[in-house]
Amino acid sequence: MKNIKNILSIVLLTFLLWGCEDFLSVNPQSELTQEAYPTTAADALQSTNAVYATLRDWHYHSGGFPILDIMSDDAHKGSSPDDAANTVGPYDDFTHSPTQDGLDRWWNVLYEGIRRANIVVQEVPTIEMNENLKNRYLAEARFLRGLYYFDLVRAFGGVPLVTSPEPELQVPRASRDDTFAQIIADLEFAAETLPPKSEYGGDDLGRATRGAAQALLARVYLFRGDFAQAESYAMDVIDSGEYGLEPEFVDANGQDGEHGIESVFEIGAVATGSVEGNQYANTQGVRGTPNRGWGFNRPSIDLREAFAEGDPRESGTIIELGDVIDGIEILGDSSTPDEMTDEQGNVIQIESYNRKVWIPGTSTNTQFGHNRRLIRYADVLLMAAEALNENNQPVAALIYLNQVRERARQGNASILPDITETNKDALRDIILHERRVELALEGHRFWDLVRTGEAPDVLGPLGFTEGKHEVLPIPQSEIDLSQGTLTQNEEW
Amino acid sequence: MNTENRNTENKTSFGTPGMSAWMLSMLISLMLLAPNAMAQQQVTGTVIDAETEETLPGVNIRVKDTNRGTTTNAQGQFTIRLDSTQTVLVFSFVGFVTQEVDVANQTEVTVVMQPDVGELDELVVIGYGAVRKRDVTGSVSRVQADDIDDVTSLNAEQSLQGKVSGVQITTTSGAPGASAAVRIRGVGTFNNSSPIYVVDGVILDDISFLNPADIESMEILKDASATAIYGSRGANGVVLVQTKSGSSAKDGPVVTVSAEAGLQQLEREIDLLNGRQFAIIANEIRAGSYNNVDAVPNTNWQNQIFDIAPTQNHQVSISGSGERSDYYVSLGYYQQAGIIDKSNYERLSLKINNTYRINEQVKFGNNFTIAPYKQRVAPGVTFSAYRAQPLLEPYYDDGSFGVVYNVGNPLADLAYSNNYNSGVRFVGNVFGEVIVAEDFLIRSSFGTDAALNRNKNFTPAYTIYNPDGTASQQNNEYSDLFKGEGINYSWLWENTVNYIADFDKHQVNVVGGLTMQQTRSEVIRLSGQNVIRDGEDFWYIEPSYIVDEANNINMLSSIMNGVDPNQYYSMLSYLGRVVYSYDNKYMTTITMRRDGSSKFAEGNRWGTFPSFALGWNIDRESFMQEFETLSNLKLRASWGKIGNEKITYYDRFSRVDAGLLAVFGNPDAAYPGATYGKTGNPDLTWETTTQTDIGLEFGFWERRLTGEIDFYNRETDDILVELSTPGHLGNGQGERVRYNAASVLNRGIEFSLGWEDNFGELGYAVNVVGNTIHNEVQAIGGNAGIDSVLIGGGLANGQTVTRSTVGQPIGAFYGYKTDGIFQNQSELDSYPSMSQAGVGDLRFKDINGDGEINGDDRTFIGSPIPDFVYGFSVDLNYKNWDMSVGLQGQYGNEIFNGKNVVRPDPYNFEAHVWDRWTGEGTSNSEPRPSYGGYNYLPSDRFIQDGSYLRLRSLVIGYSLPVNLTEKLGLSRARVYMKGTNLFTWTKYTGYTPEIGSGDVLSNGIDTGIYPIPRVVYLGFNTTF
Repeated sequence: MKNIKNILSIVLLTFLLWGCEDFLSVNPQSELTQEAYPTTAADALQSTNAVYATLRDWHYHSGGFPILDIMSDDAHKGSSPDDAANTVGPYDDFTHSPTQDGLDRWWNVLYEGIRRANIVVQEVPTIEMNENLKNRYLAEARFLRGLYYFDLVRAFGGVPLVTSPEPELQVPRASRDDTFAQIIADLEFAAETLPPKSEYGGDDLGRATRGAAQALLARVYLFRGDFAQAESYAMDVIDSGEYGLEPEFVDANGQDGEHGIESVFEIGAVATGSVEGNQYANTQGVRGTPNRGWGFNRPSIDLREAFAEGDPRESGTIIELGDVIDGIEILGDSSTPDEMTDEQGNVIQIESYNRKVWIPGTSTNTQFGHNRRLIRYADVLLMAAEALNENNQPVAALIYLNQVRERARQGNASILPDITETNKDALRDIILHERRVELALEGHRFWDLVRTGEAPDVLGPLGFTEGKHEVLPIPQSEIDLSQGTLTQNEEW
Repeated sequence: MNTENRNTENKTSFGTPGMSAWMLSMLISLMLLAPNAMAQQQVTGTVIDAETEETLPGVNIRVKDTNRGTTTNAQGQFTIRLDSTQTVLVFSFVGFVTQEVDVANQTEVTVVMQPDVGELDELVVIGYGAVRKRDVTGSVSRVQADDIDDVTSLNAEQSLQGKVSGVQITTTSGAPGASAAVRIRGVGTFNNSSPIYVVDGVILDDISFLNPADIESMEILKDASATAIYGSRGANGVVLVQTKSGSSAKDGPVVTVSAEAGLQQLEREIDLLNGRQFAIIANEIRAGSYNNVDAVPNTNWQNQIFDIAPTQNHQVSISGSGERSDYYVSLGYYQQAGIIDKSNYERLSLKINNTYRINEQVKFGNNFTIAPYKQRVAPGVTFSAYRAQPLLEPYYDDGSFGVVYNVGNPLADLAYSNNYNSGVRFVGNVFGEVIVAEDFLIRSSFGTDAALNRNKNFTPAYTIYNPDGTASQQNNEYSDLFKGEGINYSWLWENTVNYIADFDKHQVNVVGGLTMQQTRSEVIRLSGQNVIRDGEDFWYIEPSYIVDEANNINMLSSIMNGVDPNQYYSMLSYLGRVVYSYDNKYMTTITMRRDGSSKFAEGNRWGTFPSFALGWNIDRESFMQEFETLSNLKLRASWGKIGNEKITYYDRFSRVDAGLLAVFGNPDAAYPGATYGKTGNPDLTWETTTQTDIGLEFGFWERRLTGEIDFYNRETDDILVELSTPGHLGNGQGERVRYNAASVLNRGIEFSLGWEDNFGELGYAVNVVGNTIHNEVQAIGGNAGIDSVLIGGGLANGQTVTRSTVGQPIGAFYGYKTDGIFQNQSELDSYPSMSQAGVGDLRFKDINGDGEINGDDRTFIGSPIPDFVYGFSVDLNYKNWDMSVGLQGQYGNEIFNGKNVVRPDPYNFEAHVWDRWTGEGTSNSEPRPSYGGYNYLPSDRFIQDGSYLRLRSLVIGYSLPVNLTEKLGLSRARVYMKGTNLFTWTKYTGYTPEIGSGDVLSNGIDTGIYPIPRVVYLGFNTTF
């Protein structure tokens, strides 16, 4: 028996010496955990950068597909007729539903971006580092949080307001007004705190700037119909002298104009595929030959007809088959009919592509290098014109409207004459039309129609129902997960 | 065993006059026979049951080493003639110990046969020791080498299909090297529901490295009494595997050689539309698609991709036993080509088992397996061949690949695929045992499981052209090269003390122990594009050879180095068990294991898993002695709690996501970004399964009839479940957080029945096993309070078709209920419908009766979990012939024909679409055709009956006659034909009704699986 005791005690001792809890403590490998991050100045920078990473997430771009343009009168679904016919197709004729593909992706990615911003807002203030830099990071994060919430409130109405990294599991929808109040608070802080674009070094181009925050505020106030504030912020951007128009219209969205004079806020992307690039342009890129992408967002015939005779912006907006761009001939997709006709034989769609996402090259990878412009100066000018007109300053409005037309004219005096109309209602229509042809396929048209109340008239024939289609439905999956906390939008 | 020749001691049984007269006549007739009668010897005799002292009819008697023999008649008597060279007779009978009797120089014998109590006295391995079968209080099923042999498989678990009650085995794919989903007593958790495997004491997650021919027996531990000794890892059942050892080879080395080769074939094709039919339907969907439907080609794409493929399986083993050591060494080779080109699996396995005895008290040994493998994986062309339009041709006239719109040309996918896995696995242990103070056995075992797995995958740059010469969507701009390497290393050190004692009528078997386990892993993955040459010699990531020269960009596209989160943890355990039996009548087993796991945070880390069981050998009671037909009867009952912890090691941590790149500057450059990823849950702890089992074991008529019936009730609580979290938490699309937040009940009855006997020289055995499963989710969400529904079964088009919620089985199918077809406009106007619905489309039921059809009208439309799983086998032997037939099936489950649903583009249709609605009254089940859309919303239209019965195995063997084998110097030689999966009776229209998934939320959804082939083998095995 003594032997057993000896052996047993040796075995027992081995275990005890090892130390149970030590043996069972296994930390994640090659990964930081939340407790230990962010704690340094470098961490603060990286966690701020992460808020920007959301912008290159495919889902950020209205859930992946350019549904905002597809819902407008500017574009159809695109791609080959049957591609995504049931997922994206329904947005084209307003038959989409709360379970429609993409809604949940958009909702989730925006809140993911908001969480990343909330982490910066909550954690970075506790880090010991250069105070100026710290404030800039906070302002960048709040700019982006405002940007993401603005997408949410436009698309879905009032939404759960989350301003900390670890919110309650169930949060009801805030009112539209409260949501806007949060957006405005964030953007005002950003506008006060952020440096102007010219103060950033060349390597930091693409970070949020004072001008970007002011321009976004103008857009927010315009959407709310607060023309005084809209005018004020748009004029701040104009008066800053930081911005101007690209001489060439195509450069406003093209590669040569990246971070150029017209760029107020843009999403940087490297032409190496999805890791460092942006699939936004690939989704809309030329389908077939050259093979640049999937070919969604097909310009409508109605959009073609909206351009004045000879307006160079038409070819700067629409790629037609047979075009030669940067020496590359556009042949298109053989599984897509060149023309689609209705039962009476009228042409209703023409195979064509979005010129504004074009980037020189013949491969799909290079297409990922397109820098999407979220805010460009021409938009700011048109916002200023619109606000000034609403504020009964049509003469001032015409200055900015005509700046846009002058650039569009590209020196050709025979086209796009200066506007001289000063009747408020007539000028309103002219500015809305100018916005359409200047900003087509950049995701603005649908919201312009909604906020101006023109949507029922313009989009009604396409299936738009007043009182319903001004917003998208809250994704059904979110309603389900909320266990009754989230209510669906009316009529949905 | 007691072998007794009583012909001189007891002649009473020869006393009957009838007997003598019969004998006399036989003797006379013999004498009248051939003149050389004197050189021969005639023996007559009687066979008696030692226990009852009654005569035994039907006993097999064979002259040793010959095929000559006879059986006893109704009176238990026999007569046999012998030549002088062989005088040993072999007596065998079911339920009795086989014995050899030398009858040289005798004419009359009485042979007393001892009942084979061995079957009840034989030791059953129950983990950390063995007990007599008589004393087992848990539910344990045993499968022997012979049964495993009926089905040739890579993985021995596949041989268990239909052989063991309470075990459902579903092959998840017919691809070479694919594994099976094993479920013991239903589906107990939303996580990994697979049992653990314990091979010669080493705890493992799978046994794909093990050559089934090396297996001596497998024991399947099912109830809490049996599995509690494995504590936190026993909740899904335990499969104990004993490999062969040299100890049974008493007379020097035994060499066995076996070889078999087979051909595999697609069991059946799916009935699809032909080219003409497709063109007609395409014209109905979009007028003018095809001008002349009679002129379109007709390609059977299934014919294009499936082929007859060879498989082979060979092994040689040597085993022996000496005074101080035993050895078993074997080498096995398994190869299976796929019925789809570019798929193949090869495995070599070397097994070395040794035992060394230093003296009576000290023994040590080792069990090693080294198994290198090579696998080639074909791209998923089953689904594309199913969808490819039949009026497209595989090749253009110039021999290049033809375009196949929307899905890609499956032949081109195959041609450009170069996807290889390879690796080596080493599993083994060394152990030492010391007997101390006579009754104590101290054992220490150190086991390891080490694996190196590698992958290389190369796709050259290629383009498939449209007929007009433009590039189609099926192309690869730059060649792609992917290299991956993973190393897992796990060690397990187990120390146990076993105490066995007999005092009078008391028998005690106690074991206590301490075990430690550590599992580590590391993974490296690299990928690049535009490799300088396509040849295999260049399939390396050499930075200067993966350059896009035109743009001067290095195409090294990703590097990843980390760990496998499922293979990185430590465990520490204390275990103990007491088995006590009194008078061989009353038994009790008390088991306890305490486990600590690194997967949980301090404070939630330790779990205690007890079980308690009682057994009663009723047949040993004196009042039962009058039931003579009864051979054994045991009642047992058990209760216990067991755990499960198969989650990734870092679910409890809130980790930081790195690599969230931000792009700034002109020119654009990526800058690192990192922030919190999804929220971890530090409160995670064990899942606990509470299981109650009541079982009855019985044997009648000298155990000709044996059986076992069990009622089980398994309730798993605190299931570690990943719940979707509301979007506003910001975890991101599709990210889920794990909580202990669900309960599941599995309840059922399982039984096995066997009958074994013979008609003269025809020996036969019939076995039936079956079990019912009632699976029900009892709670989801719990205190996490997030959601009460687990949505799963995601199809490629984003639709989800399963929901798990309270009152439903795990992974229940969810969708619309159809109610015929809108035959005309007035019907469409008068019934609630969706806006997309038109005349000729499906009518969905308004489940909630609100007058609208929308997402709220979806409901539960089927279950992937069968109500009843069963198997049936017959074994026959007649003289040199043997035959076994195994059938296996399940009943009451549904299959979601997912491949039929995902069709956003013009794909080919299943043949039933031909019976479509074309006008009022033409069909009320098959809607007007469309390329996807409304009619393809998840509905019961895609639910099919998944019940099936399969002829799983058929083996016919012939053993060469002894005189022939002797000439060849062999002791045994047998040739055989073997068929596997020969035929399946089912209403399901896919390749196979066996649709499994490792993910219990996506079970029973056919998304175009690699078909499981029918196989026919020819083989031989021999021993010398």
